[in-house]
Amino acid sequence: MTRYVMVIDQRRCIGCHSCTVACRVWNKLPLDIIYNPVVSEGVQGTWPNVHRNWTPLLCMHCENPECVPCCPSGASQQDDDGTVWVDPKKCLSCKVCVNACPYGMRDASHMENRMHRFVRKCTFCRDKRQLDPDAQPYCVETCHQKARIFGDLDDPNSEVSKLIGSVKTDRIFTEFGTEPQIYYIPCLGGQA
Amino acid sequence: MKHHYWEPPIALYLFLGGLAGGILFLSAIFNSFVIPGYGEIFAMPVLISLVCVAIGCVFLIIDLGQPGVFWRVWTTATSIIKWGATFLVIAAVFALLYLLAYLDQAWPIFAPLSQLLLPAADFFLIVAGFFGLCIMMYTGIMLSTLKAHAFWATPALPVLFTISAISTGCAAVVLSIGGWPAQITLESLLAAALVLEILHIVDIVLVIAELIVLLTMVLSFAGAGNVTAKKAAMRWVKGSYALLFWVGMVFIGLLVPLMMYIGGGHSAASTVVAPILVLCGGCLLRFMVVNTDDRADIPGEIRYYNRVLSSNGQEFTTKWEYGKNLF
Ligand code: SF4
Ligand code: SF4
Ligand code: SF4
Repeated sequence: MTRYVMVIDQRRCIGCHSCTVACRVWNKLPLDIIYNPVVSEGVQGTWPNVHRNWTPLLCMHCENPECVPCCPSGASQQDDDGTVWVDPKKCLSCKVCVNACPYGMRDASHMENRMHRFVRKCTFCRDKRQLDPDAQPYCVETCHQKARIFGDLDDPNSEVSKLIGSVKTDRIFTEFGTEPQIYYIPCLGGQA
Repeated sequence: MKHHYWEPPIALYLFLGGLAGGILFLSAIFNSFVIPGYGEIFAMPVLISLVCVAIGCVFLIIDLGQPGVFWRVWTTATSIIKWGATFLVIAAVFALLYLLAYLDQAWPIFAPLSQLLLPAADFFLIVAGFFGLCIMMYTGIMLSTLKAHAFWATPALPVLFTISAISTGCAAVVLSIGGWPAQITLESLLAAALVLEILHIVDIVLVIAELIVLLTMVLSFAGAGNVTAKKAAMRWVKGSYALLFWVGMVFIGLLVPLMMYIGGGHSAASTVVAPILVLCGGCLLRFMVVNTDDRADIPGEIRYYNRVLSSNGQEFTTKWEYGKNLF
């Protein structure tokens, strides 16, 4: 079996937003849709003891997603490899899934034709991987700091398995029982 | 939070769906168990519930991004909103059959059809009433299953919505009972007056119950526990929603009608104004709850979206037209 996950090394991320731009360009997103924002709480601490953390986000491709069982049309679905995606042809844009996601990772664009809207979300670049099974998502390919690492958790030799097995990783909002599959290597401060 | 994902049509649909459910539920109970034999006086309330369902469905479908494929709502097994749609359709079909059974009283041309349906009319209304009850509970349960939203994910919400739906249904029945197409007879007038007397008491009880559940829910969220729910509840208690909540919902929507019901006797205040205020309060409740869709923030998220949606960003994104960034 294959289980795609992403490890995000926050120690490496410099907040350049290249991954966000790459995703928007390659996935041809409307302007009000951002799949993978890189957020920060700003500079923390008092000079000269200051630091700043960046948190690159994307759909958590949850093991137990909130957004799939609630979908009445069957548009929101999960592949065997864990990828959660929406079939635009089936989606009604009822926005139940948008409200169900605890991470706010889905939305329908308000800039599209009013009678032809559907919900969009990060697909782990599913279409790209269908053409080439070894392909990496665009944000991962673009990250010059190698802060985003994509791979198969079920393969013990993959970089993600080794990292998750050896370094302490965090996940966001585990209290909802969604089993998010984006693993963060926290930055413990110290960088300006 | 970027914006409200669910817009006013959804709140209106939840209100109208609950109202229709409440009318059917009360009509079924009164027609079958309290004063059997005067079915025609419930024809108008049932007609109103049908109009509510129709308007609600139109809003619901129009709000979809792809209205043409709304039937896909019935294509999966797990989704809860599939149940809502199913209840709505069944209740509406049986309510329509009930209405047709009494239509000949105003339009004799329907007599053959009405004669055919009349023997089963009580049964139609029972089925419609049962599914009406399902709709009322569904509107709250649907929101309360979305556990990402702390203010919705509480068992108090379906209780509150159900009580509010019955009480708005009660108000609508009070306003419409005995109307067209029923032919007025002395007996049916007496029956309608009896129903009104009972509904008067029922609505007093319901308004008190709604007040208790509403205050319990909002104040307990405001007092303790979950940070997100607390922030949302504080907005109701003393933030930007406080005026709407205390003056609009609690005072005008509940306390004033309650005083009119208790002190008003048979005056217009108690039989006309109070029910209208109850209906307005119920509608306001749905709007406020649907708009209280706070989700726990990922640290830094708000700051990010505030910048994207700042005045510059806003201008940039709104000037863009569909198809422009496709290449
Ligand atoms: S491209 Fe890499 S370094 Fe730049 S913001 Fe994205 S994750 Fe961080
Ligand atoms: S993060 Fe949200 S959209 Fe992504 S799989 Fe989990 S619940 Fe679904
Ligand atoms: S908006 Fe689309 S994908 Fe989401 S629940 Fe509705 S039909 Fe499913």
